Amino acid sequence: MNLETDFDKIFHLYAEKVYRLCLGYASGDEALAKDWQQETFIKVWKHRKSFQGKSSVSSWIYRIAANTCLGDLRRAKKQLPLKEEALAELRSEETETPEDQIWQMYRCIDQLTPQNKTMILLELEAVPQAEIGQTMGLKHGAVRTRLNRIRKSLLKCITHGKG
Amino acid sequence: MEKDKLSMLWESQQASRQELNPALLKQLASKQRKGQFLTLTIIGVTFLVVGLYALIYALGTWNNFSLGLLLMLLSLAVRIGFELFSMYKKETQLVAMDPLSFQKYLKQHYRLRLRVNYWITPLCFGVYLFGFTLLLPFFKQAFSGAFYNYILVSGFGSIFIVGIIIVRSVIKELGFLKELQG
Repeated sequence: MNLETDFDKIFHLYAEKVYRLCLGYASGDEALAKDWQQETFIKVWKHRKSFQGKSSVSSWIYRIAANTCLGDLRRAKKQLPLKEEALAELRSEETETPEDQIWQMYRCIDQLTPQNKTMILLELEAVPQAEIGQTMGLKHGAVRTRLNRIRKSLLKCITHGKG
Repeated sequence: MEKDKLSMLWESQQASRQELNPALLKQLASKQRKGQFLTLTIIGVTFLVVGLYALIYALGTWNNFSLGLLLMLLSLAVRIGFELFSMYKKETQLVAMDPLSFQKYLKQHYRLRLRVNYWITPLCFGVYLFGFTLLLPFFKQAFSGAFYNYILVSGFGSIFIVGIIIVRSVIKELGFLKELQG
């Protein structure tokens, strides 16, 4: 794929995945995730000539997205703690809704290291593990092992509220 | 089964309402590039004009006015130069590195910025302030009392505000560095 001529196609292919990757970094703060998504594609367009084709276009875009989220000093708005209070109340009443579970998932993802966060967010977006390895600069085997570990700890955190 | 729960939760999120489109992105990118170019041009031309003026003036009569002007100009050039270099390098690394290497780079980047903010920035700030005070007797002589007072208030006021902005950004970057190391 050519970044110059196929930019429109590339945008439509990866926009949603990049948005959700950013949403994970932003702990569910949609406005921040949209800003990061926009910034990612602006960088992709601005630096299209520096892409040397050593990795796939998608890996390059995911790298830029992850680094954009990682390198921004702005953090998610403090909407999560409020949700967290409501969540605790709901949990005690055993009326946990899927929305609350999603918030809890974001809270758990937020506790991961930046590298683990990127890996699991890409996996949740169904990016193949070999490509995750390419994006992260890791071997496929190492990615698989680490993703298993991350998944287990995330599930524990979502179910019991512990990392 | 548990593995599915995580993926199901993730997939149950609503898709975003896509307000972006490639044409708009290209427009924004070009606007950003033009903005950066304009900033650099304005800074460059300002330095050129003031520098030339200081040089011509200094060649004729070297006094505290030319020294003050030169000190203010140099301190600003050093600080702005570092800021632009730092921003440019961060963006090129962001595009070139994988997330792990970029995270390591970010730690170095903010450590360097903190060192600069602890040592170079106060030095630049002090030199700028000193340069400004060297100009004051000349302003007092050249302008009316009211205008001189205006220069005093606006000059020291803006230096004070810049100082607050610098302190705030140092605190913010310090917090971010701690977060990166955590």
